[in-house]
Amino acid sequence: MAEAMRAHVAELLKGIDRYNPENLATLERYIAVQAMENAYDLEANLAVLKLYQFNPNYFQTTVTAQILLKALTNLPHTDLTLCKCLIEGVRLEEKPLTKIIELADLLESCQFKLFWRVLQEDPDIIVGIQGFEDSIRKFICHVVGITYQTIEKEHLAELLGGIPDAQTNQWISKYGWKIEENGQTVFVANQEENIKTKNITEKITFENVAQIMAR
Amino acid sequence: MYSEEFVEQGAAEFDPYAYYPSQSEYELHTGDPRQDLEYERQYQQSTYIVPEVIKNFLVYFQKCVHEQNLFEIQNAYENGFNKLTDRFFKNSAWPEAEIIAPVVGDDPVFLILYRELYYRHIYARVATGPTQEQRFESYYNYCNLFNYILSAESPVPLELPNQWLWDIIDEFIYQFQSFSQYRCKLGKKSEDEVEHLRRNPKIWNVHSVLNVLHSLVDKSNINRQLEVYTSGGDPDSVAGEFGRHSLYKMLGYFSLIGLLRLHSLLGDYYQALKVLENIDFNKKNMYSRVPACQITTYYYVGFAYMMMRRYQDSIRTFSNILLYIQRTKQMFQNKAQLYDQINKQNEQMYTLLAICLVLHPMRIDESVHTQLREKFGDRMLKMQKGDVLEFQNSFSFACPKFLSPCPPNYDATPANFHKEPFMQQLKVFMDEVTQQALLPTIRSYLKLYTTLTLSKLAAFMETSEEDLRNHLMCFKHKMKNVVWTGSCSGLEGEFQSASEVDFYIDQDMIHIADTKVARRYGDFFIRQIHKFEEVMKTLKP
Repeated sequence: MAEAMRAHVAELLKGIDRYNPENLATLERYIAVQAMENAYDLEANLAVLKLYQFNPNYFQTTVTAQILLKALTNLPHTDLTLCKCLIEGVRLEEKPLTKIIELADLLESCQFKLFWRVLQEDPDIIVGIQGFEDSIRKFICHVVGITYQTIEKEHLAELLGGIPDAQTNQWISKYGWKIEENGQTVFVANQEENIKTKNITEKITFENVAQIMAR
Repeated sequence: MYSEEFVEQGAAEFDPYAYYPSQSEYELHTGDPRQDLEYERQYQQSTYIVPEVIKNFLVYFQKCVHEQNLFEIQNAYENGFNKLTDRFFKNSAWPEAEIIAPVVGDDPVFLILYRELYYRHIYARVATGPTQEQRFESYYNYCNLFNYILSAESPVPLELPNQWLWDIIDEFIYQFQSFSQYRCKLGKKSEDEVEHLRRNPKIWNVHSVLNVLHSLVDKSNINRQLEVYTSGGDPDSVAGEFGRHSLYKMLGYFSLIGLLRLHSLLGDYYQALKVLENIDFNKKNMYSRVPACQITTYYYVGFAYMMMRRYQDSIRTFSNILLYIQRTKQMFQNKAQLYDQINKQNEQMYTLLAICLVLHPMRIDESVHTQLREKFGDRMLKMQKGDVLEFQNSFSFACPKFLSPCPPNYDATPANFHKEPFMQQLKVFMDEVTQQALLPTIRSYLKLYTTLTLSKLAAFMETSEEDLRNHLMCFKHKMKNVVWTGSCSGLEGEFQSASEVDFYIDQDMIHIADTKVARRYGDFFIRQIHKFEEVMKTLKP
């Protein structure tokens, strides 16, 4: 259903119509659909926040919470930052928005173990957001993928939220990582290829100086 | 000494714009001390005579506008008007439109244009600024102007120089900005003024401003024109009846920049960049010949990129425009107001560039880098050491004047209500800075080694190994920004890392790679040689 609504919503957001608060009902429904079906539409979500900004009486905390959580599923993109810029400070101090911002902060500073712990304290927050945890795990694997050449499997499992072995193996194979012979370490990528000391020296081509030399 | 003509035009109550008709340009003192004192008192309350030279200028100006003689209009607009301002109206308002109306035969279009200049001048030069009444009237005048342009059945017979068209859009948004901040400061307002504000929510309403900009964009088909232009085609083929006309086309283009600015002021950086998605900044385009427009564009684009944590794009944007300003500064020497404004934006952009380079060190152009080191070296050092106050101060100085789109609650507004939008953006920025707090320290340690154990680095940083792993992941995460790779829309891009210091973790060992870039001399010498040759050419007889 999300796909079907996408085109219709895009029409609503054209030109001056995007500021029409009468569109809010449709847009809010679209966000609920995104949450249920694990779909994502940044522009529509930002448009809703902007309508709330222009019409504070229509502000809805539940919808905003959904928008922020969906933004987190798109990490490492900075969608959550864009959302924060459109929400009044005083609103962000309401529950459950404070909790969501706290979780976001932990993710941005890569404190993944703490993130899972804090989430456990209040798991109802993400009820309704289909596939939230897996999206976060995708982000965590992305960060692991750019940081590590090899990592202890136990450590990886912790970062992914203390998941059972079978699940960890699934994530490992999903990213094409290899478990070494000792069964403990995971080979992530040959980082040596990408991360080498480089010495960039200047090359002055003949064309650059030809003009000057031809005097 | 009043002639009947002037008395009719509303000099019933005390009219601060009462005029004495006179043949000479300056009313000299009469010799009678009481009269002179009276004259001086009224002169101070901005009473003045309409000199012949001004009347002549206005008639000439009107003629140019009617003849659609762009060159002469530009001359009158940039030189004539400003010279007379400096001579007669340095700190006071020009005569009200009603007063000069007979001089130009009550020409409605010219009077609208005149009023545009009149109010703009008040905002700029009159020390006390516009009164509430003047703010409202200026708004009505803009409504009249845009109605005239937009509701016409066919393109209106009007040609104005691009500089003026840009100034109209720029000032329109500036006055909206000024009003939004004005209405939040309820402390010093009288009951009447507050009541008047309460009763007129439509004046300088954000929807009206958006409506004007969007209408100008739509009417001119500027987006389609830009799309076709970028792919090498002829924009006229899609311009439509109105878009082919230079007035509409340029107003359409400038409105896009206006929207960029407006969205940035409201904190919507995504939308700010989105409205520009058909403009190719790399192509030298014919739309960008107004320097003030270029500079404003790059400022807001760079700022939006910075808030989106696209530091590489931000740094590239600022470097480009700062180089441009360096090269063209000579041109603005004789236009005082423009010069000041560009100077201010220059300083702001250097500040933002400094912030971005602290958060994301990378190589930039030599001449920009030198300037930066000279002016901002200390501040950058402080920020690198984690001085939070320095970040805040720099941000406050360089950021746009953020606004709220909603009027305040006129009955109960907290004292610093007008500052809240700014505080909101500052908080988002400082959250990001806090998350990146340890990165400079890590970077400085990494620069010293090619390999380093986790335990050793943890000891240096006086933190646990587990926390260190988190910090290192954070470093990698933050250093990988979305970077624009050449497709038209500035919003697109790929994740790239341009960090000079890079590393990976293997078991419990950190392997570090440093990118050393040798100093580039070639460009600098070639440029100097060319410059020298230019000088030689001018010296030769």
